[in-house]
Amino acid sequence: MGTVTQEPTRGGQLGRLERLPWRRIILVVLSVLILAVVLVGAYRTLTLPEDQAYSGARWRNFIILGLAQGSIYALIALGYTLVYGILRMINFAHGEVFMFGAFGAFFFADAYEESGFLDSNPIASLAILLTVAMLTSMGVAVLLERVAYRPLRNAPRLVPLITAIGASLFLRETARGFFGPQTRGFGVPTALEGTWTIFGIPVDRIQVLVLVTVIIAMTLLSLFIARTRTGKSMRAVAADSEIASLMGIHVDRVIVTTFAIGGLLAGVAAVLFSLTFESVNFFMGFRPGIAAFTAAVLGGIGSITGAALGGILLGLLQSLGPALILTGYEIPSPFQLKDAFTFFVLVLVLIFRPGGLLGTGDAEKV
Amino acid sequence: MGVPSRSIWRGGLIGAIAAIYVALVGLYTRFADLELVGEQITLGRLLLVAPALVAAYAVTRPRVVAGERRPVAFGRGVLAGMLTGLVTGAVFAAAVWFAEWFGTDRIREVFIQISDPLIAFLTFDKGVPAGLPILIALSVLGGTVGGLARTAPAQARAPLAVGTLAVLAMALLQRIIPIVFVELGFEADWLYAPSRGLTWFGAALVFVAAAGVNALWHRSGERTRERVRSTIQEAPAAKLGLLVVIIAVLAIMPLLLGTVISEVLGQVMIYVLLGIGLNIVVGYAGLLDLGYVAFFAFGAYTLGLLTGAFLNTTTGAAEPVLSGDLSFYVAIWIVALLAAGLGLLIGAPVLRLRGDYLAIVTLGLGEIVSIITASRWAQPLIGGPQGMRGVTKAEFAGFNFQDNPQHFYYLALAFVILALFISWRLAGSRIGRAWNAMREDEQVAEAMGVSTIRFKLLAFAMGGAIGSLGGALFAVNLGSLTPTSFELLVSITALAVVILGGLGSLPGVVVGALVLIGLPGLLREFEEYRLLIYGGALVAIMILRPQGLIPNVRRSRELHEEEVEQDAWGVAEPDDREAVAAVLPGGGLGVEREDLE
Repeated sequence: MGTVTQEPTRGGQLGRLERLPWRRIILVVLSVLILAVVLVGAYRTLTLPEDQAYSGARWRNFIILGLAQGSIYALIALGYTLVYGILRMINFAHGEVFMFGAFGAFFFADAYEESGFLDSNPIASLAILLTVAMLTSMGVAVLLERVAYRPLRNAPRLVPLITAIGASLFLRETARGFFGPQTRGFGVPTALEGTWTIFGIPVDRIQVLVLVTVIIAMTLLSLFIARTRTGKSMRAVAADSEIASLMGIHVDRVIVTTFAIGGLLAGVAAVLFSLTFESVNFFMGFRPGIAAFTAAVLGGIGSITGAALGGILLGLLQSLGPALILTGYEIPSPFQLKDAFTFFVLVLVLIFRPGGLLGTGDAEKV
Repeated sequence: MGVPSRSIWRGGLIGAIAAIYVALVGLYTRFADLELVGEQITLGRLLLVAPALVAAYAVTRPRVVAGERRPVAFGRGVLAGMLTGLVTGAVFAAAVWFAEWFGTDRIREVFIQISDPLIAFLTFDKGVPAGLPILIALSVLGGTVGGLARTAPAQARAPLAVGTLAVLAMALLQRIIPIVFVELGFEADWLYAPSRGLTWFGAALVFVAAAGVNALWHRSGERTRERVRSTIQEAPAAKLGLLVVIIAVLAIMPLLLGTVISEVLGQVMIYVLLGIGLNIVVGYAGLLDLGYVAFFAFGAYTLGLLTGAFLNTTTGAAEPVLSGDLSFYVAIWIVALLAAGLGLLIGAPVLRLRGDYLAIVTLGLGEIVSIITASRWAQPLIGGPQGMRGVTKAEFAGFNFQDNPQHFYYLALAFVILALFISWRLAGSRIGRAWNAMREDEQVAEAMGVSTIRFKLLAFAMGGAIGSLGGALFAVNLGSLTPTSFELLVSITALAVVILGGLGSLPGVVVGALVLIGLPGLLREFEEYRLLIYGGALVAIMILRPQGLIPNVRRSRELHEEEVEQDAWGVAEPDDREAVAAVLPGGGLGVEREDLE
């Protein structure tokens, strides 16, 4: 039940200055400016002289990279979206849940790499890595809910958010204390090195693995939510937790299940992410976490399809945006600003369309 | 009333898990040598006792039976505490034994803190299993103290608790108080062992003194207490005297404490400034700003540019694209003015967002600022990844605010007092009451005639201006700037300072900064675990004491009224509306009608 915001300015009683629709004017000017900057940048990039321009193959690679990256974001974003749908809270520490999953998998990958199991049995070892990461992330997510969030179920809105920020910092520093501050190399099976040619296009094998795994995970999740009894109660609690509890649904259990599912998906994402970047460290959760949250907001937080769509879009935007827009302005090392892109998108979506692309308009979410 | 055995098992196990966590995260090894009292009581050993103590304290809490709050009886409480401690100790000892048997080298492949010195510390150098009984005994001791702390008769409990806390505080201030003593011409050897913790004699003296004062206070009778209280609160002379004493102490502090500690105090002052600014936005106006670092960075870099700092480059130094040659005393006001403008600029597009969405947007804006600051794109303007150096030294009548930490302290103090004064006056003014009303319920406030747009923008501008002062002072203090100083952690630290002290409470900001910035600065042992402590503190405070250490009176009333809707974004029942209306300061809103004219 959202509260509809009234247009705050009512003429007459307030000063003349405030009678002008300042907000609307600022927003229109802002959007025109942004559109102009993007279009000019793209135009200038695309009309660069032959020797400086990106080749067709590079653009193709950007797109594939963006798809793979975006589908990982989508998996993490589901964790935010599911929790938000049910508790109306931003689980800021979800990125750390993801990070713990990566560490869980790392220790197994490390041992298997040393023993040669990783290369001799890539499928079995990947299955084990996924399982370990999923269980680790799930454990952390459930623990987080129990210790940090459950006592605050009825607290004012900002209290759980501040708690989540604290929990995020705490978990991150815990990982630093437990596992050490250094970045460590994540072993990749030799079977996954190199490329496969699909429809005549060479694609990194890891990216194929990422896309296939994400599609499977997404399908399973949709089936779970749509078909099972637990999925049904999750939907019921998301719609109205009070009524759901009156109908005999154990709300606390549903919430724990939601966190557990979010954790499982984050675990899958963690393995895929670590395989892509071949490393793990204690601060790896923050940026992907924020990116995934952005994806969830972009698609419309609370919506599962929205998270998938938002993830893919954001991945593409991150890989194409700097090249397409910033290169045109001759900005040095445009990919340094990749994350600034993420945040920029986040801010713009929240300002212009807080309900997200698939959301129900902004009145409900603001 | 007794304690259910299930509760004891549960509490004991959680205590053991906490102890294992402390071992895994490396706190025992880090604090093993930080002596608090004598050579025996180190912070590491205190941490051995603490899990059982806290667990027992929680286990013996009063229980609500049939709507009635029933405290645990004294004897049973102590027994339950002992048993909780026993469970904690036994499980933890078993874990230590397991680690020794399994091999610390093998565990270290995952958990890097597990080492033979750690096992030696946990078994008091007696090895496994000979040292384990001591470990268990300490846990039982901790549990007993926990049970006592909860269930002992009040007239005994208060003095003991105050005495213990006083000893702990004195022991943690071991790098400050001896220096003060020596500067004042006293001997400090009887109180503190040289460059170590309290002596046993000193600890006993502190304990007796603190406990004695507390006991006297409690026995002195209600009327005497009331008289003392009202004298302090009402008599203008007493108030003035207190103020004079505080200012005198603040003024001579750096002279007594020497340069090293003055440096720490300077850092504390910078965060007090950030805290005061953020407190206006979050505490007064209820707008959670997670991008506060933007103002900090803006203040620092703008001051650098205005006073003619150079950019660091790989080949040497370069002139920035925009550069001024103003003196500090002119530049700082320009910085504050521009930052207020930045506050308006950031505030305007996000005016309609509330609650967590606002928090996330500001987080995003703050991160954009950090990323751009550190990018090569920003190189010609502010130095990019290499940063800039040669920020003005800000001298004044023989004072050098950059090279002398003691002088910098005075500069920072001046700005802190200014900011405190402004903030205090704002809080009590019509503007402050409008912020309160807006924070408690935006729609009700609007209906009562508070122009929320104007007051939100004002909050962003004021908060931004004060935060930029913090950044500017930071730049003056260091003389050089690198983008690593301007990350999200600054925002989170400032938030932790405000929240630890208590949202909306100015003394709280000062205390929060002293604890969170001062303590890690003084005891280097804490430095590595600073962020862990910030994170833990944020969670713990939100769960246990959301009003903070030194609560703002009105604010704490709200936080206890859990049904009160803080952001209109949430679900509101008709009853909540009434509760909100009841909390709103009626008189304050009456004045707000001026807006309507």
